[in-house]
Amino acid sequence: MRETQKISTMERVNVGLAKRYRRERRFRLFGLAAIAASLLFLVLLLGSIVAKGYTAFRQTEILLDIHLDPTVLDVNNLATANYAALVRDAVLALFPQVEGRQDKRVLGKLVSTGAAYQLQDMVMSKPELIGATKSVWVLADDEVDMFVKGHIPRDVPESERRVNDQEVAWIDQLTASGRLQLKFNTTFFQAGDSREPELAGIRGAVMGSLFTLVVTLALSFPIGVAAAVYLEEFAPKNRWTDLIEVNINNLAAIPSIVFGLLGLAVFLNFMNLPRSASLVGGLVLTLMTLPTIIIASRASLKSVPPSIREAALGVGASKMQTISHHVLPLALPGMMTGAIIGMARALGETAPLLMIGMVAFIVDIPHGFSDPATVLPVQIYLWADSPERAFVERTSAAIMVLLLLLLAMNAAAVLLRNKFERRW
Amino acid sequence: MPPSLLIILVLILSSLAYWQGRRRALTLARQPAAGKMHSRPGYYGMLTALWCGLPALLIVAVWQVAADPVLTQMAMKGVTAAKGALSPDQVNLLINDIRNLVGGNLVAREVDPVLQAAADQYLGLKRLSNLALATVALTTALVAAYLVLARIRPTLRARNQVERAIEVILTLCSTFAVFITIGIVLSVLFESIRFFQQIPFFDFLFGLKWSPQMAIRADQAGSSGSFGAVPVLTGTFLISGIAMAIAVPFGLMSAIYLSEYAGPKFRATVKPLLEILAGVPTVVYGFFAALVVAPFIRDLGTWAGLPVASESALAAGLVMGIMIIPFVSSLSDDVINAVPQSLRDGSYGLGATKSETIKLVILPAALPGIVGSILLAVSRAIGETMIVVMAAGLAANLTLNPLQAVTTVTVQIVTLLVGDQEFDSPKTLAAFALGMLLFVVTLVLNVIALYVVRKYREEYE
Amino acid sequence: MQKIALTLAAASLLVASAASTQAADGRDYISIVGSSTVYPFSTAVAEQFGKTTKFKTPKIESTGTGGGLKLFCAGAGVDSPDIANASRQIKKAEVETCAKNGVTQIVEVKVGYDGIVLANSKKVGQMKLSRKDIFLALAKEVPSPEGGDKLVANPYKTWKDVNAQLPAEKIEVLGPPPTSGTRDAFVEMVMDEGCAAFEPIKALKKTDEKKFKAVCQTVREDGAYIEAGENDNLIVQKLEANPKSLGIFGFSFLDQNADKIQGSMIDGQAPDFKSIADGKYPVSRPLFIYVKKAHVGQIPGIAEYLAEFTSDRAWGEDGYLAEKGLIPMPKDERKTVAADAKALNVIVNNKF
Repeated sequence: MRETQKISTMERVNVGLAKRYRRERRFRLFGLAAIAASLLFLVLLLGSIVAKGYTAFRQTEILLDIHLDPTVLDVNNLATANYAALVRDAVLALFPQVEGRQDKRVLGKLVSTGAAYQLQDMVMSKPELIGATKSVWVLADDEVDMFVKGHIPRDVPESERRVNDQEVAWIDQLTASGRLQLKFNTTFFQAGDSREPELAGIRGAVMGSLFTLVVTLALSFPIGVAAAVYLEEFAPKNRWTDLIEVNINNLAAIPSIVFGLLGLAVFLNFMNLPRSASLVGGLVLTLMTLPTIIIASRASLKSVPPSIREAALGVGASKMQTISHHVLPLALPGMMTGAIIGMARALGETAPLLMIGMVAFIVDIPHGFSDPATVLPVQIYLWADSPERAFVERTSAAIMVLLLLLLAMNAAAVLLRNKFERRW
Repeated sequence: MPPSLLIILVLILSSLAYWQGRRRALTLARQPAAGKMHSRPGYYGMLTALWCGLPALLIVAVWQVAADPVLTQMAMKGVTAAKGALSPDQVNLLINDIRNLVGGNLVAREVDPVLQAAADQYLGLKRLSNLALATVALTTALVAAYLVLARIRPTLRARNQVERAIEVILTLCSTFAVFITIGIVLSVLFESIRFFQQIPFFDFLFGLKWSPQMAIRADQAGSSGSFGAVPVLTGTFLISGIAMAIAVPFGLMSAIYLSEYAGPKFRATVKPLLEILAGVPTVVYGFFAALVVAPFIRDLGTWAGLPVASESALAAGLVMGIMIIPFVSSLSDDVINAVPQSLRDGSYGLGATKSETIKLVILPAALPGIVGSILLAVSRAIGETMIVVMAAGLAANLTLNPLQAVTTVTVQIVTLLVGDQEFDSPKTLAAFALGMLLFVVTLVLNVIALYVVRKYREEYE
Repeated sequence: MQKIALTLAAASLLVASAASTQAADGRDYISIVGSSTVYPFSTAVAEQFGKTTKFKTPKIESTGTGGGLKLFCAGAGVDSPDIANASRQIKKAEVETCAKNGVTQIVEVKVGYDGIVLANSKKVGQMKLSRKDIFLALAKEVPSPEGGDKLVANPYKTWKDVNAQLPAEKIEVLGPPPTSGTRDAFVEMVMDEGCAAFEPIKALKKTDEKKFKAVCQTVREDGAYIEAGENDNLIVQKLEANPKSLGIFGFSFLDQNADKIQGSMIDGQAPDFKSIADGKYPVSRPLFIYVKKAHVGQIPGIAEYLAEFTSDRAWGEDGYLAEKGLIPMPKDERKTVAADAKALNVIVNNKF
């Protein structure tokens, strides 16, 4: 009787085993599901941006036969001639049946206001064309563009559309005759900011970002590496250096907006540097990137094994010689990786630059460090607020460009790390 | 000559000095009577180059900064003589005009002959000044180089001197990093103190109403100007709370899977992908939140019959959580990997399954590190700006309902400072006070996190 | 060794060149700050100006009228703005502040008219409001619902509470902060008029003007009125997302988004181009730009910028500003203002 009731250890274990295995499988699945969900978020994020933005890379253009009337175009005064009138005449010529001032005005609005500038550039660079009739592809108005790309639906009642039925009929006519086409959007890459979406581009913002990053790199890399070398190699190991290390670690984790406040109080209020200049933006970003570079450089200096240092000291090198000939070259790939990652983070920063005024409407492309400029993330922020529908797709396209730049920088860092880093 | 050319010239001279010093050292070394040189020849060259270059560059830098105001003063003497006493602002404008003339920029109107004369005088003086600078700098460089060359002998401890100079430069650079923190603390503290002189400290910290948009003129009627930070802080913690509720489970489970279950190939592909989430700029997340997530949640709410604000805390918190997942994940990953294999082996040896090992052995062992990483993630969430600026609301609502719109500390800082920036109105200073609050809270969190991580890490060494 | 020396040299070169470029040139672009209502028009003119003349495109920041005039009056030096956009006329106190800080010659240029609308999403019905309704809905203190002279904290929660004919929706209005000229114009034209409909308050106007203003113009802070910042575009977007709320902004923003939002009728008038131009719509106000005469001639291009703004091509009935929603002044008025602007006639102090 006793034997039949006594259960062996193995049987006891086996009773609960199935449940434990089930729990194990569930747990493992949770882990996998968490990763899958995170990746799903990523796909969702990138997917929605790309879906909204890929249409921005093509732009609707209309083919006009423009007669370069010499009576309008005075050779001696080409800058102030009325190019808009010439463009308008060309559009009206395509639809001779349209009468009435109001209708003609609406017809003229099918073409972007930028067409006049396009014509101006063309005539001023080649004045010998005056008198001829040229076929020119000009930009269409942003609402025509939105309609052609399908963002303004055809099937809603007219009062809910930005493009009325008459305009729709004209657009269809132009498409049918081959005079309306979607072409690659070069304006997006060549122009600066503009109030008109079809004339807006990211070149000003990209140049501003470039200047700002150059200032940041030029200032933060030397100072950061120097500070890291000192703190890692020369500083005595006492309470003060401990405090400094904690201090720098904290700086790296401070919200970026606080650096913006610092920049506002010191650079703008106290030192009176020009507002909205890439120089000030670069200075603020230097303050932000410095801790990151110091930490990364220290880590790579630490990773060089003591045997290398001792070998150098053993053959009679001084401390400085050890560092400059042996340690630094070996740690350099890690430092450069850290610098590139720091730069990538600086490229994507918006908040501190809002505080120092890089948030104005600036059309001209900056040419120097003290020209007013804006950076790509701030441009994205500004465009995200604009009401015109066409800006939504341009914002998404600008985001795509920004992400590509960041991807390139991070890939460069990873490549560098893989190629040059030595594992001891 | 223009300053940049001068600097290049000084650098060339320094290089020549380097070459000369080195050559001299080598020559001396070949004379057996002189004895062995103290340092390698390059150091003698470097010493000469440093003495040649540094004083000269210093002179150039100081001259550049100091010369301009002096020259402008001298040029303006002629103008003030002609035009009589001018207010400082008029002087300012005339100087700007002169600068534009000098720089060849477009000038506004017909050029006033007095100003043109002043501009010409300025140009003349500048040319003189540049010539003087060039002479002084180059002479200094040459004299210094010659003096050092004369002093080169075997007993000259060139290496020590050069190394000390470089050490000084390194020290200066690292103190600069410390000055940044001091700078932040001082600038924010200074303005905050001015703020607290106008608004009592406890009113700010414990007040329940936040309506800072005061009247900006005497005859205007604005808000009551209450600066109670509690609703704003509640909003911050609500959104951060939602963000952590998403980031911690997803991040932690991903870290566990990647470190315990995943094979090396899976790990190598998935880890960089998760890092991409961390690399996306926050303005992109803000755009995504405002354009995709918020309308989606609002539609979901309407379908479920719940009143959802168009800028619900849920939308902002959700997107912020997604952004923080990689932080929690990679930090926890490092911590879990640091747990010694012996603990795992012991557990397996007793017959535990993998999940039981993780739940009962590894997580408790790694807990301090994980807590530390969560605290760092919280500090990141609290300090996040762009996502909330674009997706969260502006009204300081004292509520814990995630479906309503709330505002956060960072949004208020941006709103108060973009535009009106008079540095003595309580409105502008309130932004600095909020910044101070933010700085202190994140600092405390970071210190606790680092302390916890450091303290408990040593137990397994 | 050499590497370190070279790096240090390169770094110093860079810093020196950066420092030298900064000190040399003066400001050669126009700096404009001010109203977010005038911002779309100002930027359109600036762009046109930059493309058709040899001058640099002006830099324009949208700070709100109040903030803009404050920056404008903060000093007369080269680091202060040249032009301030304003969606209301400059106040006497501001002129005095300007004079105190050295800005004594201000040129006022009226550029057109704008209506202030109370708009909501097209997804719901159009609201028909009176100014009295709006006052009761938005003021901090209102006459007690029981009647009598006493003022109580605003108890009304839904539009139906205010006026039985309005829908039973929660009162939620997004509007500009006190730095905005639109807010100033709104409280003067709507709130003041709305509360004057109550006899006891109207009597207050004669006895204690300050109290009258305080009662009429103070807006409630319990969440029904939300200050949505200077960015009018943002308010438009929020209206789209939240059909139950109303927004206060300039007519140009309504015009540019007419497919998504509609303006409420105020005192029986719907806001459109004609009713605002005729003056029938009760909430219309002129828009101004203020120029520092001292800067004209010092900063290149200001006179030409004004010429562009006051040209028929820009502000005329067929001009590109009308396309953007600006309501042009009558032809004669345009001529006078353009002549004044060209002559740079300054504000005379006894005008106030």
